[in-house]
Amino acid sequence: MAIRGGRPAARAGRPPATAYRLSWRILDALEAVAARWPARAEGAVKWLLLAPALAVVGLLVFGLVVMADASLRVMDFRTYQLGEDHSTANYVRLFGWGAFHATLWRSLLATLLVTLFCLLLAFPYAYALTRTASARLRRVLLVGLFLPFFVGQVVRAYGWLVILGQQGLVNQALGLVGLGPYRLLFSYPTVLFGLVQYMLPFAVLMLAPALAAIPEEIERAAASCGASHPRTLLRVVLPMARPGLIAAALVVATLTLTDFAMPAILGGGTNDFLANLVHDQFFRTSNAGLGSAIALVLTLLGTTVAALLLAAAGVGALGVRGAR
Amino acid sequence: MSEASFSTSRRRLLGGATALGAGLAMPAILRAQEPAKPAELIVRAWGGVWVDSLKKGVSDPFTARTGIAIRHDLTEDNEIKPRIWAAVAQGRTPPIHVNWDTTANATSSALRGVCEDLSDLPNLAKVLPLAKPIGLTGVPIVNLYSYVYVLAYRPEAFPGGPPTSWNVLLEPRFKGRIALYNDGIGFHPVAQVVGGGKVSDIPGNMEACWAFIRKLKEQKPLLGEDPDFTNWFQKGEIDVACTISSNAREAKAKGVNVAWTVPKEGAKVDTDGMWIPKGLPANELYWAKRYIDFALSTEAQQVWLDGLGLPGVAPGLKPPADLVGDPSYPTTEKDYERLILIPPKIQAEHTAEWFARFKEIMQS
Repeated sequence: MAIRGGRPAARAGRPPATAYRLSWRILDALEAVAARWPARAEGAVKWLLLAPALAVVGLLVFGLVVMADASLRVMDFRTYQLGEDHSTANYVRLFGWGAFHATLWRSLLATLLVTLFCLLLAFPYAYALTRTASARLRRVLLVGLFLPFFVGQVVRAYGWLVILGQQGLVNQALGLVGLGPYRLLFSYPTVLFGLVQYMLPFAVLMLAPALAAIPEEIERAAASCGASHPRTLLRVVLPMARPGLIAAALVVATLTLTDFAMPAILGGGTNDFLANLVHDQFFRTSNAGLGSAIALVLTLLGTTVAALLLAAAGVGALGVRGAR
Repeated sequence: MSEASFSTSRRRLLGGATALGAGLAMPAILRAQEPAKPAELIVRAWGGVWVDSLKKGVSDPFTARTGIAIRHDLTEDNEIKPRIWAAVAQGRTPPIHVNWDTTANATSSALRGVCEDLSDLPNLAKVLPLAKPIGLTGVPIVNLYSYVYVLAYRPEAFPGGPPTSWNVLLEPRFKGRIALYNDGIGFHPVAQVVGGGKVSDIPGNMEACWAFIRKLKEQKPLLGEDPDFTNWFQKGEIDVACTISSNAREAKAKGVNVAWTVPKEGAKVDTDGMWIPKGLPANELYWAKRYIDFALSTEAQQVWLDGLGLPGVAPGLKPPADLVGDPSYPTTEKDYERLILIPPKIQAEHTAEWFARFKEIMQS
């Protein structure tokens, strides 16, 4: 076949300079370089490809080491400098501090509840999204899924202030039937509500591919064997959707555990999570030592939550090849 | 006229002419000695009425005089602080030229040694002694005005007249409808007094303070920052709050029916100031100092602080018409007798400890 505007490639041997695209030349050059790569060094290719990611992880680890060092130094408030000596004083103080205990349990409980609610709500949404025969409904569901991503978390939280405030839309509607106004904001349930609303699209996004990967024929086969639709969902679809459920739980749980904005905006100052406590120590009291200690505990907790989820389901649940 | 006397007169005349010429030429000479002007100075400020007033009273007139643009950085004072500390520690140019800060917060930076000395500001000699910080070496911070943490309230909630005691915060009808700062700032000394303790026991023994705050916790207070108070009054979320009078005044200016008072137990008075982080190029340091010096002038303070409704350190300021005789605008020694001042150095050294206790009560 002739290259448009040039001579036939077979006869020319090499296409004319004007017809040979720049991108092809680059690829040729790369191939030439690759051809010179010694066969013995082929094993290094994967490491070269992994290098950028490893560099990022390395930076994170370096940051953690710096924080670990700071967490072992006590702030001297006469000079606002961290002490030279290392000790566990910040951790001792932390675990004896009532505010830390309260915040810790509040964060963990929220992680559990928000993850559960999100999975419960995300499953039917994702199922409808992947199974509906109506293109219009699918479009509506897709818009509903992606629209929240265009609105940041802080803006959404402020939106709830407008909706749930004493003079907000909900109280105005209740006022029309002679009820209220009620205090709907600045409580733990409000923070949970805001978090579920924020995390739900993430859960759907993680769950939908897993459900789409389950062939519909399997459901029809279950039905032909006499299984009702609820029974099919419970005994066939749910177990097969396990990778998606685990991935959704992982994302929602870790994001909830480390959330800052929802408790700060919807909590009214008395429903802080651990991230708020870290922020307070770094930015309000300038205590980098105690702040680092809380941050490390939070990191450890996040890792533990992820590890427990994976241990309960097995890494294989995520579809990782070769994993059990 | 004798020759001698003429000669003397001529010398005087020549001398006078020389002096006059030198006098006329001086501004040009001084200008020639001034270091190069930066295109802009970055001044950290609080948002809302705070930055609007600063712009009108200080920044815009300063730009008109010097041609140097002023950019206001609205990063919170607590959040800019670690960035400045890191820049100074690493020998980098700090992110701002002038930090408008609470004196207590600024004192922590002074204790850390990241503030330039401001003792050579010409206007410092003309203002009230309050302008110079107490208990610090040199003048790392210049205080610019004082403010009072008043008891702000919605008059509809007090048909019998203004509240006279901070104890109203404990009345059951206000459960869920009171507000404090989220770090308890401005309330500790008052809680100490209302709780039956003595101001002189701060910081050694503050159990009375913590006992009162524990009672207050049962009232389910909202905890927030400056803009929250204005917003909460506007949206009808609260009836009473311990807040800076400027926030209540701003809410009032926005049409919200809010009033404020200094109850019989008194109220905490504090100061705000400005400081310059170390590490600026010499010419930028010079102009940053000129900015703070201008902020100390009567001309700048009159306009700036009229907007905030706060008494400045420059002499001869006239209070805004709506604040004449207002206890939140102290001008005389008698006015200050009703107010409680905790030295900023004590505040800076104990902020973390007080914050931890306050959080422990409020988060539990």
